[in-house]
Amino acid sequence: MPVVGVETPDDPSQEEPLSPNSTILLAPRSDAMQRLADALEAELVPVPPVSDREDFEEWRDGVAAGRAVAHVIVAVWSEGEAPDPLLELDESAWTRRLEGPFLLWNLALGAAAARCDDGGSIVALVQSPSALDAAGFTPEAAIGDGVVALIRSVAASEGPRGVRANAVTTPLRLVERATLAPAPPLPGYPGRIDVEVAGAIRMLLSEDACGLTGRVLAADGGRTLT
Amino acid sequence: MREDARMKDTTLTPAHKVVVITGATGGVGRGIAIACGEVGWEVWIAARRKVEGEAVAQEVSEAGGRGRYVECDVATGDSVAAAIRTVVRESGRLDAVVHNATSGLSPVPKRLSEVTTRELESHVGVALRGAWLLAREIHPLLRESRGSFLLMTSEAGFEGKARLQPYAGVKGAQRGLVRALAREWGRDGIRVNALAPLASSPAMESAFEHEPAMAERVLGRNPLGRLGDTVEDVGRAARFLLSDDAGYVTAHTLMVDGGSCPAT
Repeated sequence: MPVVGVETPDDPSQEEPLSPNSTILLAPRSDAMQRLADALEAELVPVPPVSDREDFEEWRDGVAAGRAVAHVIVAVWSEGEAPDPLLELDESAWTRRLEGPFLLWNLALGAAAARCDDGGSIVALVQSPSALDAAGFTPEAAIGDGVVALIRSVAASEGPRGVRANAVTTPLRLVERATLAPAPPLPGYPGRIDVEVAGAIRMLLSEDACGLTGRVLAADGGRTLT
Repeated sequence: MREDARMKDTTLTPAHKVVVITGATGGVGRGIAIACGEVGWEVWIAARRKVEGEAVAQEVSEAGGRGRYVECDVATGDSVAAAIRTVVRESGRLDAVVHNATSGLSPVPKRLSEVTTRELESHVGVALRGAWLLAREIHPLLRESRGSFLLMTSEAGFEGKARLQPYAGVKGAQRGLVRALAREWGRDGIRVNALAPLASSPAMESAFEHEPAMAERVLGRNPLGRLGDTVEDVGRAARFLLSDDAGYVTAHTLMVDGGSCPAT
């Protein structure tokens, strides 16, 4: 079975050496993710569809076997779901919105930890509603807090070799506008993938964040207070 | 039970309640069950292991409540539905549910770079799918009783764990599930909360014996310098969240860890 998203040259010795500051983005192929990759000068390495869970491990192991890179960004990105109360989710919706993405998040962060070079940095970009906007988005809220616990686990396990692991949350593609008061302090909610979100990721990847690990930045114009 | 604690219990939690606790055949779940029994509540031990479940039910009755056992595999929809039907048929109502069950893989050290999909499915199946399956069955009953749903999470769900990464992930996810579901169910008068305990258990005591450095690590950062007691510390805190005294508490994660977790 081919490894999803990993293109292996016939002769690995012919690969172009990666820059010490090289960055990869583990995410689905989409316009949004390509814009993010472009904004961060990252190579997009596609993740498998969340429905193909039998491919997850092989994909993880294939990515993990690649050359070490300085920066790894992980985004198991969804193009959006209509808000639905938890009680209205059927088996298919539960699997599509929670179990599939959450399983993939685990394995993608495992790939990121294996692939990130000593002294490097990992950032998880996770779609998560703020507390005020969480109704109808129980699966996404669960994934959001789950990924935070996972990234802190990675921070703890990889910290001794100098690897930092942080998270950025965004309501993009989940919440189009804030309907409950108070309004977000900054205009432009819910933000742009290649500006506000990319900026938060860029900061966490940079040496300016050399003392930050296990942290969570909500790139949502102040909608989330933690 | 301490005499002063008995007096305190009777004033704090006067209403009779029917409570279901998943995975309560030992440890923290057992402690919550006994704490609820102390104030006369009817407590259903919902678990797969009948012998152990009936033993805890007996302890609940000895503590002053009415202990019952019902077979339940929380990762299976038919089993959850059957268990809740049994409770309603026998007890006539449902006031609170505590989802305490976790995967048998929870204490198994594992990093994300080596975990298998099947192992993850076990964690997710019990902790998250189990919560969803329970939610679907109990919502109309809790709406009628203006009841409470409590998910047992962990400090791992805040701070992560280097050695127990999949476990930390599902415990964090339970916190997110709580904050969203509390918002969805609030208008129905149902409260949804989480509790993160640090308590003694046979597994932890055994681990301390085999690795004294672990005891130093765990207790060294604990301001109270001890593990919690499953009944007196964790059980009674959980009982508070289920009681009418916590009638204005929802979407909350209560840390009952002796101040150990550095998360804020």
